[in-house]
Amino acid sequence: MEETKKDKTEATIELLDFGPIKISGNFVLKDLKRDIEETPGEVLLCRCGKSGNKPYCDDSHKK
Amino acid sequence: MEKNSGGKRYRNDDITVYWKPSACVHASYCYRELIEVFDPSRRPWVDMNGASTEKIIEVVNLCPTEALAWKWNDETKNETIDNDQVNHIKFRRPELVGETGPVNQERPVSVKVMTDGPIVLKGNFKYTYNGITKVVEDSIVSICRCGVSDHMPFCDGKHRKIGFSG
Repeated sequence: MEETKKDKTEATIELLDFGPIKISGNFVLKDLKRDIEETPGEVLLCRCGKSGNKPYCDDSHKK
Repeated sequence: MEKNSGGKRYRNDDITVYWKPSACVHASYCYRELIEVFDPSRRPWVDMNGASTEKIIEVVNLCPTEALAWKWNDETKNETIDNDQVNHIKFRRPELVGETGPVNQERPVSVKVMTDGPIVLKGNFKYTYNGITKVVEDSIVSICRCGVSDHMPFCDGKHRKIGFSG
């Protein structure tokens, strides 16, 4: 409990309530179906299954 | 010495495949690449006669977790395993061969969007959901992308049942 290890966190991930997953920091995004590989720094990815622009969020969850 | 713990084993003449269900995050490489061997709807779900040894090794090596691992039945061949055989038990399940493997720290974090499946996060990261924040190191978390998981926000494999495409 008293470990003083330094934070190794490379990326921060937020699963927004009723919304997409927001990823920011040092990460590599790979989409196997669409053959995407990128390091965007920050990205919003669809979690509802309805986006017309997968893997990205296009706000379809609000409809 | 091998401990007789940690899941099931499937053998053919050449190799043994180890299956640790608790480690599976439903990344679904196995059945997508080789349904002849890895068929989740069949019991037993692994049929070691379904493909060549070479092909089975290739697909087991795709598993991003320690759920699937393999070794040669001829132990002498296990002593000279190349590093690129990432899911050989020496690397994936070192506890099975009495070793404590090096913790493989990947950086940057790997975010894989699986074909018709979840988002698989791997590495050192912090994640927040429902007001809960977790900080993890060298971990794998699988996030639902089809919208129908019973264990939100995590994947429970249901995308396959509903035929999710995306």
